[in-house]
Amino acid sequence: MSEMWVNMGPQHPMTHGLWNLRVKIDGEVIVDADPEMGFLHRGIEKICEYRRYNEVVTLMDRTCYVAGLSWEHVYLMAVEQALGVSVPARAEYIRVMSHELQRLASHIMWYAAFVQDIGLMTPFLYGMRDRDLILDLLQSYTGARMTYEYMRVGGVRNDVPVGFTDRCRKVMDWLEEKIHDYEALCDRSDIFLKRTVGLGILKAKECLDLGVTGPMLRAAGVPRDLRRDHPYSAYPELDFVIPTHDGADVYGRYRVRMEEMRQSIAIVRQTLEWLDHHPGRVLAEKVPRFVGTPTPPPGRESYILRRGYPKGRGFAAIEEPHGEALAYVINEGAEHPYRVKFRSPVMVNIAAAKDYLVGYRVSDIPPIMGSVDICVGESDR
Amino acid sequence: MTVTLYDVAYWLSSHLVALATGTSASNLPGGPWTTAAVALAWLVTGIIVFAASLVNTLILIWWERKLLGRFMDRRGAMHVGFAGLLQNLADGLKLFRKQVFSPREADQFGYYLAPTAYMVTSIILLGFLPVSTGFVGGSVPLSLLLALAIFSFAPLFIFVGSWSSNNKYSLIGGMRTAAQLVAYEIPLLLAVVSVVLLTGSFDLTTIVMDQARYGWFWLPLILGLVVFSVAMLAEMERIPFDLPEAEAELVEGWSTEYGGMLFAMTMLGDYVRGLVGSYLIVLLFLGGWTLPGPLAPLAAFPLGGIVWFQIKTYLVFGVFIWVRAALPRVRTDQLLQVGWKRMLPLSLANIVIAAALVVWGWPHLTWPAL
Amino acid sequence: MKAEEVVPRLQAEFPSAVQSVALRPGVLARLEVDPGSIVPIARWLRDQATFCHCSMVGGVDWVERREVLYLLWSDEFRTYLEISAWVPGEDPHIDSVSGVWRGAIWHERETWDLVGIRFVGHPDLRRVFLPEGYEFHPLLKSMELHEPEELEVKRRHV
Repeated sequence: MSEMWVNMGPQHPMTHGLWNLRVKIDGEVIVDADPEMGFLHRGIEKICEYRRYNEVVTLMDRTCYVAGLSWEHVYLMAVEQALGVSVPARAEYIRVMSHELQRLASHIMWYAAFVQDIGLMTPFLYGMRDRDLILDLLQSYTGARMTYEYMRVGGVRNDVPVGFTDRCRKVMDWLEEKIHDYEALCDRSDIFLKRTVGLGILKAKECLDLGVTGPMLRAAGVPRDLRRDHPYSAYPELDFVIPTHDGADVYGRYRVRMEEMRQSIAIVRQTLEWLDHHPGRVLAEKVPRFVGTPTPPPGRESYILRRGYPKGRGFAAIEEPHGEALAYVINEGAEHPYRVKFRSPVMVNIAAAKDYLVGYRVSDIPPIMGSVDICVGESDR
Repeated sequence: MTVTLYDVAYWLSSHLVALATGTSASNLPGGPWTTAAVALAWLVTGIIVFAASLVNTLILIWWERKLLGRFMDRRGAMHVGFAGLLQNLADGLKLFRKQVFSPREADQFGYYLAPTAYMVTSIILLGFLPVSTGFVGGSVPLSLLLALAIFSFAPLFIFVGSWSSNNKYSLIGGMRTAAQLVAYEIPLLLAVVSVVLLTGSFDLTTIVMDQARYGWFWLPLILGLVVFSVAMLAEMERIPFDLPEAEAELVEGWSTEYGGMLFAMTMLGDYVRGLVGSYLIVLLFLGGWTLPGPLAPLAAFPLGGIVWFQIKTYLVFGVFIWVRAALPRVRTDQLLQVGWKRMLPLSLANIVIAAALVVWGWPHLTWPAL
Repeated sequence: MKAEEVVPRLQAEFPSAVQSVALRPGVLARLEVDPGSIVPIARWLRDQATFCHCSMVGGVDWVERREVLYLLWSDEFRTYLEISAWVPGEDPHIDSVSGVWRGAIWHERETWDLVGIRFVGHPDLRRVFLPEGYEFHPLLKSMELHEPEELEVKRRHV
């Protein structure tokens, strides 16, 4: 059979979003791949330049719809560096807890979507069921289930409600038990192992060359996790390990994410313990406020320093559920950021598609691309 | 010779014709009148079989949704009708109301032919599968052979539909179907051969009666049951062998381009095939509508046979649903490997066992009555 | 080599190319380098200073000139290094570092797409997010935000 290009996307069950994977297939074997993105590009970086610093938080939830709080966190860390704001310790702990809850929710969502890709329907619903508990938790203190708009420059909007920590502990206990179920459903299934082991191999050397980060990199045996290697927020005081795997394949990524969920539960428990004993402010007292016109006048004048913030640049890096997320904020003293630049781990991981797809079969595309954990809102921004 | 549905229908129609012409039913005037009586009888039989298959399919889908829901820690359909029994009817009506369309570049004839023929060949199968003593659409001496022959029509129409859809996903799905069905047709037929060896008949009623007399065949032919069930799973295109419509990679497989009622027809065809597959397993290996040993009189009530037959069928289908809830999908090459390298030798071994039994004088071997 | 030795040795290696060094929180240092010698510097950093991971390439429009930002990560030093190169606003271009880190290919495509900086020697400089044939580079300051209907977007070539 001659070779042909197949468009897998932009509306295709495998994509989990809105992007297009063009693959060239020879019969069932993939000989070339060319991911195509931008279907969900909303120009968030541009819109950021027209919003005040706190207003950008709204956009951050829309950046990644399964890990909104992580993006709020990385953006605000960069902004706080750019504006010279310090954050109260309690707010840092609440941020870390939110971040880890978000990582749990994201990983469970990933698990659900991933097993669905290889035809397992039951764990999909188990995953959605358990993710709902985390969303309930998040809702109880942020007020929303998906677009939280919770963090603020200088801290977080409000403290957690009374009794939250106990409720959260219960959910963590439940989840810890359920993660065993997830593993039992997959690890003991021969078909699952046949569909995942040795597939989509991307060795450590290629990962580093291609800039692939996150669980994909750790599954290749490189123990890089910015929570430990480039510590931020309250992570230096917390105790956790970085799971790695030697397989560099789909199964390895699955194993790494499963272990990460356990670590996240451990981190959440530690933060809950801390929060129980350290009441205090959750928003910095002195946050520079800019009193100016809400919309900038046309032209560049709007960016000239009038009054308010000192000029500065902010840079922050976090370990998002999908990988390394960077935010770079340039503050020219106006009420709006001059430039906001994000690094999306998902975009880089998808961009490497050719390297881990070529040579495998069409049937392997869903598990392989599923193991990347795609969130198109984040890669397209 | 048992009385079939057709015989009953003919009896009725011939009396109607006799009433109309003023002669006796046993002595029709011949010519167009006789033809009319035969045609009427066939029509009535066909309508009954069609209605039965529709009702059965609806219940089967309901059963699948409920059972799957329970496996997944949810409730399944529950709002329309008692326990959601009418939900599928509502879904069907919704599909029925939708516009019938075809892609501009598609081959119109093949596009419309494929789901129609797929559904019709599936429903025809129900016409001569006995569901109880005498409850069979038409009496065919070689009903097992005919059933399997018609059963293997499906890949042809699937391929026609996939090719005329003019869609790459459809085409890949269609080709996978062809490869898969060819690979599993052989172990399927070889598993059937073992049953035929033991009974010496291709007539399903005889096969069931033999089982009632000498014990169900699942015990001596356990290997055959396994091979037949796995191959049937592949023929039905259900998880773990639902590659032709693997939704994660091929969108919806060969039926990607179908919508509305055409899609409902492919869906109906799928479930009727599922039903037929479960029927065949019950008929060939699980004693049909009979019950073992001391329970046997329970099946002798009027319509009792049908009840037991349906219960057995749904239980068998429940196993398939269970498999669907528990297993992921295999890959094409793995599927073909299982088909050629595992199923084929196993089915041959099964034939050897059956042949050995026959050599040892199978019918007169006194197997413990099950 | 230790982390604090990286910048002095880089300065010694490329005395004229490294224009300024600033210390900033979060990164090892912020270097401003000559855009003409970005590729040798990148290669040196990768091979000699273990900056194996090109984390981000970005662009900033400063109207009369543009800034290309590189953020590099070293697993050994566990720190980022920020490199910035200034290119003129008229026909902004710089040598591509995609030959040094393959991961830069998509970052550079994105920078070309959004900020309009051309990367010389890039293997595949297509748009990433915006349709091919689109005239604008949206993150330029000359682009004001419009209501969506005011922009005439050409149909994406399929």
